[in-house]
Amino acid sequence: MKRSLVVVACALALAATGCAPKAEKAEAASPKVFRFSYASDIPTLDPQMGNSMPSATVAFHIFDGLTRMDNGAVKPGIAESWTVSDDGLVYVFKLRDAKWSDGQPIKAQEFEYGIRRLMDPAAASPYSFLGLLIENADAVNSGKMPVEKLGVRAVDDKTVELRLAYPADYFLGMLSMCQFCATRPDLVERYGKDFAATPDKNVYDGPFMVKEWAREDRMILVKNPNYWNADSIALDEIDILIVPDENTALAMFDAGDLDLVRVPPAFVEKYKDRVVYYYDGSNDFIKLNMASKGPLSDRDFRLALNYAVDRQDFVDITTKGLYDANPRYVLPQVAGVDAAYGTEYPLPGFGVRADVAKAKDHLAKAMARLGVADPSSIEIEFLTSDTDRSRAQAEIVQDQWQKNLGIKVVVKQVPYRQRLDMESKKTFETVFTGWAPDYSDPMTYLELWTSDSPYNHGSYRSAKYDEYVAFARKSTDKRARMDALFAAEKELLADGAIVPMQLRRESLLVNPAFTGVGTYFIGTNYDLVHADRASK
Amino acid sequence: MGRYILKRILISLATLLVLVTVVFALVRLMPGDPFSSEKMTPQVRQNLERYYGFDKPVLEQYLTYMGRLVRGDLGYSMKYANVTVNEIIAKAFPYSADLGLRALAIAVSVGLTLGVVSALNRKKPIDAVCVVVAIIGTSIPDFIMGYVLQYFFGIRWGLLPIAQYKGFAYTILPSVGLGFYTLALVSRLMRSSMLEVVQQDYVKTARAKGASRFRIVRKHMIRNAILPIVTVLGPITASVLTGTFVIESIFAIPGMGKFYVSSVQSLDYTLVLGMTVFFGAFLVTANLIVDVLYGIVDPRIRVARG
Repeated sequence: MKRSLVVVACALALAATGCAPKAEKAEAASPKVFRFSYASDIPTLDPQMGNSMPSATVAFHIFDGLTRMDNGAVKPGIAESWTVSDDGLVYVFKLRDAKWSDGQPIKAQEFEYGIRRLMDPAAASPYSFLGLLIENADAVNSGKMPVEKLGVRAVDDKTVELRLAYPADYFLGMLSMCQFCATRPDLVERYGKDFAATPDKNVYDGPFMVKEWAREDRMILVKNPNYWNADSIALDEIDILIVPDENTALAMFDAGDLDLVRVPPAFVEKYKDRVVYYYDGSNDFIKLNMASKGPLSDRDFRLALNYAVDRQDFVDITTKGLYDANPRYVLPQVAGVDAAYGTEYPLPGFGVRADVAKAKDHLAKAMARLGVADPSSIEIEFLTSDTDRSRAQAEIVQDQWQKNLGIKVVVKQVPYRQRLDMESKKTFETVFTGWAPDYSDPMTYLELWTSDSPYNHGSYRSAKYDEYVAFARKSTDKRARMDALFAAEKELLADGAIVPMQLRRESLLVNPAFTGVGTYFIGTNYDLVHADRASK
Repeated sequence: MGRYILKRILISLATLLVLVTVVFALVRLMPGDPFSSEKMTPQVRQNLERYYGFDKPVLEQYLTYMGRLVRGDLGYSMKYANVTVNEIIAKAFPYSADLGLRALAIAVSVGLTLGVVSALNRKKPIDAVCVVVAIIGTSIPDFIMGYVLQYFFGIRWGLLPIAQYKGFAYTILPSVGLGFYTLALVSRLMRSSMLEVVQQDYVKTARAKGASRFRIVRKHMIRNAILPIVTVLGPITASVLTGTFVIESIFAIPGMGKFYVSSVQSLDYTLVLGMTVFFGAFLVTANLIVDVLYGIVDPRIRVARG
């Protein structure tokens, strides 16, 4: 007994001192290293499998598309020039002499391969819906046509031709996304399911390349010497640390262990002189299920719900005013014809404050039609996720609707994935949900609500709306197209099809020693391509 | 003895089989599925289900899974695309084990010392201090303890790193945070156990025979008082291991807890299953070892159970 205790004690003592997993020390001051954190690991670096903001953000730094988004503007990427046919359907890209990080030249066939892989049902990309505007994409993705029929073709080693099903100006911007990037068939074949699983199992053609990736711990990106525009890159290294707890991340920024951190709403007041605000594109709204025979099928009832919420109070209480109350649907920042859509097409929508008189007016009309005498006999269910924040949001909406309309609102909280499941199965009455844009055009929000859209979980049906969107899909006249999209947005709101709520405005702290740290509202959130540190 | 051990092993394997089957069924019964996302379309979902073999009958999926499991293959994670569950565990477990062992080492060594000192100085101020430490430790959950330690030692006083796990200094706060509850528990147990032993005849006898105080404490009291602690070491190990989940999150340590939590959130079937099987196997093995050790130490148990 005594001996075994001694052995245990020794083992424990050894454990306490000896066997910590090794890790290299951070470099000294000279290399320019930028450090930020994510709450959870980057799910994948396989370009066609990218399915999240973190994946897209890293991909933005390690891959280069035919084009590159630079602060909202489309710039040449691996393609140095391109032409678009008059009908807006055929794009021809000329590639520059660019190399992969392993020194191999980048070929048009690799773009053809990558884009086919995105739509190939056997590859099962979760983001294949992005490519549905390419000719035959739908048939290919559903297995009705061989992948070779897809509207992408390598004309020769340096020329890529893309054919679209309908004209779309935003396509050029979309091509900067990793899902449309060149992909090496030899590596996909060699590594199979392990492709891109570790830094050495893929090659890179963007400004940076992956040097180290310890899952749920950190990812180290270093400058890619073979990037065609490597001379313009100032940073030597980007360290992405995985810090699940946002309070910990903030403390690490304060201690100088991070150069950029997202400030939780509770702390924004404390740092308000130093924070930088940015919209991450997320647009939260309440989906209304119109398929039922209940009050939600009535337009006036839906309008009553819209006028009865006080969006300003909502964001003030739930985010301490960090998020923006949103009285309309489309994110104003997306591109219009010559300027931002919100500037070109302003819309007061439902207003940021509640309009109780209007709400009651619509409610009275709805009740007359529904044959209801007492509003308190109307009960609707409000579905949301099971987080504390969701509860707070739900309780405010519940309170506003109950107080301003006299109806009964029951809050139902379920886990996030179950909420999504219930949305797609249309087993909800009202649900707090949202949408993040995939490209800079009002269409990215408006295409959700056409009668045939897979995302139309509220079963909104409007022939007029469908017509506006269909017109915008066909038109090559930019102004007429944008007018149609605006008409669609107005139609959607006039029908009270959704209850717009808020635009997420995030607050960041950035180490002032760095310049050129960019943010964007589509796909990626941070842009460090032009970041630099003032020399010490 | 051989038959006894064999029997324990068979029972352990049966336990694991039941565990795998139940968890396999449970993850699939959870509402929602791994493919749910704001942007999922029926077409994409169909492609994904085919890719992961979810379009096949559940029984076939189960048999396929069991077939791979027997060969030690836990399959590919769904959230962490292109990474096998085996790889994830191989990388993450050393962190959790390291953290857990450190926490246990601190908890057991300090806890025992406090318990002994406290019992020997019963009703004196030092006893009161030890009792207060024990009460604090058992009443404050480890995540609060983690934040408190992080705030004072990391942020306020800047004495130790705030987070991550990159060297000895980084391990101190999480280990203490994780081990504190167990430390308190051990010290309380040891104190009461010591106080009981003090009354025993053999202690009185030793004292009457004129043995030195140190010798009595070491040879007669601690050796007998420590037995209950050895008994609870199994459950304690389990609680320390599960406690790592929260501590790992606070201190940004890439251990099992982080993967477990995110796998449940994202309904990553294979990862949830793989991790549960691994933890299950770990605990079953620990119990097996304890059972076998008991059998060796005490033949009565062997006879009674065998």
